[in-house]
Amino acid sequence: MRHYEAVVIGGGPAGMMGSITLGGKDVKTLLLDENDVLGGQLVKQTHKFFGDHAHYASVRGFEIAQKLQEEMAKDPNIKVETSATVIGVYPNNLIVYAKDGKEFKVTYKKLLIATGAMEKQLPFINSDLPGVYGAGAVQTLMNEYGVMPGKRFLIVGSGNIGLILAYQLIQAGAEVRGIVEALGKIGGYEVHAKKIKRLGVPILLNHTIVKAIGDESVSGAVIAKIDEHFKPIPGTEEEKVVDTICVSVGLTPLSELAEQAGCKIEYIPQLGGYVPIRNERMQTSNPDVFIAGDLSSIEEATTAMIEGKIAALEMAHNLKSTDVENEINDEIQTLSLFRSGPKSEKIRIGLEKFGINVKPVPEIERHGVQIGPQGKLRAIIDCTEEIPCNSCEAVCPFGAIHIGENLNSTPVVDYDKCNGCATCVIACPGLAIHMLKEDVENSTALVGIPYELLPLPEKGQKMWALDEDGNYICDAIVKKIAKYPNKTNIIYVEVPLEFSQKVLSVEFPKRESPFVCRCEEVTLDEIERVIDSGITDFEEIKRLTRVTMGPCGGKNCKLVVLGILSRKTGVPISKLSHGTSRPPVKPVEFSLFTKRDDSK
Amino acid sequence: MEGRIKAHPILEFRRGKRVKFYFEDREIEAYEGETVAAALQANGIRVLRYTPHTNRPAGLFCAVGKCSSCLMEIDNVPNVRSCMTKVKEGMHVRRQNKRGDVL
Ligand SMILES: Cc1cc2nc3c(=O)[nH]c(=O)nc-3n(C[C@H](O)[C@H](O)[C@H](O)COP(=O)(O)OP(=O)(O)OC[C@H]3O[C@@H](n4cnc5c(N)ncnc54)[C@H](O)[C@@H]3O)c2cc1C
Repeated sequence: MRHYEAVVIGGGPAGMMGSITLGGKDVKTLLLDENDVLGGQLVKQTHKFFGDHAHYASVRGFEIAQKLQEEMAKDPNIKVETSATVIGVYPNNLIVYAKDGKEFKVTYKKLLIATGAMEKQLPFINSDLPGVYGAGAVQTLMNEYGVMPGKRFLIVGSGNIGLILAYQLIQAGAEVRGIVEALGKIGGYEVHAKKIKRLGVPILLNHTIVKAIGDESVSGAVIAKIDEHFKPIPGTEEEKVVDTICVSVGLTPLSELAEQAGCKIEYIPQLGGYVPIRNERMQTSNPDVFIAGDLSSIEEATTAMIEGKIAALEMAHNLKSTDVENEINDEIQTLSLFRSGPKSEKIRIGLEKFGINVKPVPEIERHGVQIGPQGKLRAIIDCTEEIPCNSCEAVCPFGAIHIGENLNSTPVVDYDKCNGCATCVIACPGLAIHMLKEDVENSTALVGIPYELLPLPEKGQKMWALDEDGNYICDAIVKKIAKYPNKTNIIYVEVPLEFSQKVLSVEFPKRESPFVCRCEEVTLDEIERVIDSGITDFEEIKRLTRVTMGPCGGKNCKLVVLGILSRKTGVPISKLSHGTSRPPVKPVEFSLFTKRDDSK
Repeated sequence: MEGRIKAHPILEFRRGKRVKFYFEDREIEAYEGETVAAALQANGIRVLRYTPHTNRPAGLFCAVGKCSSCLMEIDNVPNVRSCMTKVKEGMHVRRQNKRGDVL
């Protein structure tokens, strides 16, 4: 049996940072993780993380894991065992784990448990049907194995995980038919929600899934509106044709090993469920056992890493009387700052039950979207919700963006200093920044949109410009594609000036919609989008789409268009103005008009 | 192969060597390094077992070894988490019926 000064169970951000810190303090450490690669949740996160620039903000999740791993590999004090599943913690500081079909035992002086969390279940009819997956499972399949388990998805739950999953599914080429959310508001960050709304994913609030349809595999889902007691309202059921359902209704800490290690456990719903009681330095009721990360409270990678560091520092102090006082206090202060914003209220309430008090910041500077000086190429930041993130401020080479010491504040741009370099657009984890430059003389505007999808369009290509809900608003001509190493590219498109402040997304023109106007090749979809944007006058629709204005003069499509208009507006065709008919009613040669013969 | 992401805007998939294994005696193509459950999902196979009491079909749910929904019989050993077991050339995988026999 081997003996270590410190053993760490779980190689997610908390356990990795804990190991790095322990190793740095000369503590002989063993890290055990069940997976064959380290990183925990980070491995399947393709998006850039929020947070403090000093703590890997703007770096994609899987890349944070790689960086931490590189750091660990350099330290001979750290021994790593992957594919090592800890099956029990026993008295006398004994750990048993399974690896390669064999049982291993190790003992420790101090133990850090950072086993993270697992997804909560949501029982609904047929929720056990194959094709209903936990959101994390789909992330694992997609982002670790490159396997796409379905074509059309419904997501249950609009927390950050559900929102990010929707985005990742679209990136991998799937279709997301919608997200249902039982509460009256979106659970996750506003910027994550906006990112998928402008790609056309509807988020249905006060809705739940009633049942999954299918015999041996999902072929549909019934959703319904719910009342204030979360009961489905009869008559509001609706079937969604999907082949895959993803459940993302929150995480709950994996506290069994901590319990076996003699840590007192308490049920604190604000922290995610059963959590070990611990002090500010992450020490549990068993003085030899420390915890960190999602096991202590369902939060973020950033807070997980800081907690891992705090726990490790205190462990090193316990083991070697190393002086860590200043370092620990600094980390505790950073952690408080992360938790001081309005989005962390639940965590603060939960922690208070352990006697850990985090003060909310009394007054957070809140700013709306600034538009800036017309005509100048500049960054427009749509980030109005207080979340702990400062990557835009940190990367701006001109010091044009201010967030300040409290990273929950929202950014303010000094447009005298902004020179249109777009560095912030690339860095922003929320993809909440775009570029804008109006050209009043030519009545156009250049809009630069962050784009993380494939394929990329080509210069000169026509695309559809979309608004914040993914609705078509106008055509857009691609002027430039700026590619960046971090794979957030920017597509610069030209749009009519009047739409300059509405355009937030682009997509390739859809082809699967039926063609209504054969002459001008206008699809049903295009006509409906114009009507949806609020235009219901037939003449106006004609001018915007060119329907009925081709060589046939509307003989083919006029009635169809009026039918669509009538269906969408509820006004009978007989009451609609059907426009003016102008000669010629049949196509004739232009030369005809110059060869007039008035003799007859 | 069906069900596999070909181009991705952020990730590059470095897939391992191609291997073959058997699911209910049917030959399945997979890549070294992927789990049995992932390879089956990639091939459109979702039903991984039938439950002990009500004989309902069950499939992959958490994919990270936590929920035990994906238990299968792998090389004659029942109750193996197919989401944590890597594919191997020539492996025999079967749907698990009920609880599986103790060997
Ligand atoms: C979709 C999604 C998006 C997110 N976005 C962000 C973001 O933008 N910014 C941010 O800061 N955070 C984000 N997070 C949160 C962040 O990923 C987690 O808070 C963080 O990973 C928690 O770290 P951890 O080390 O506590 O646990 P985990 O990362 O879950 O790691 C736990 C590790 O323990 C191992 N383990 C568990 N039990 C055992 C056992 N018995 N034996 C051996 N090993 C075991 C697991 O295999 C795992 O590797 C996101 C999370 C998700 C799911």
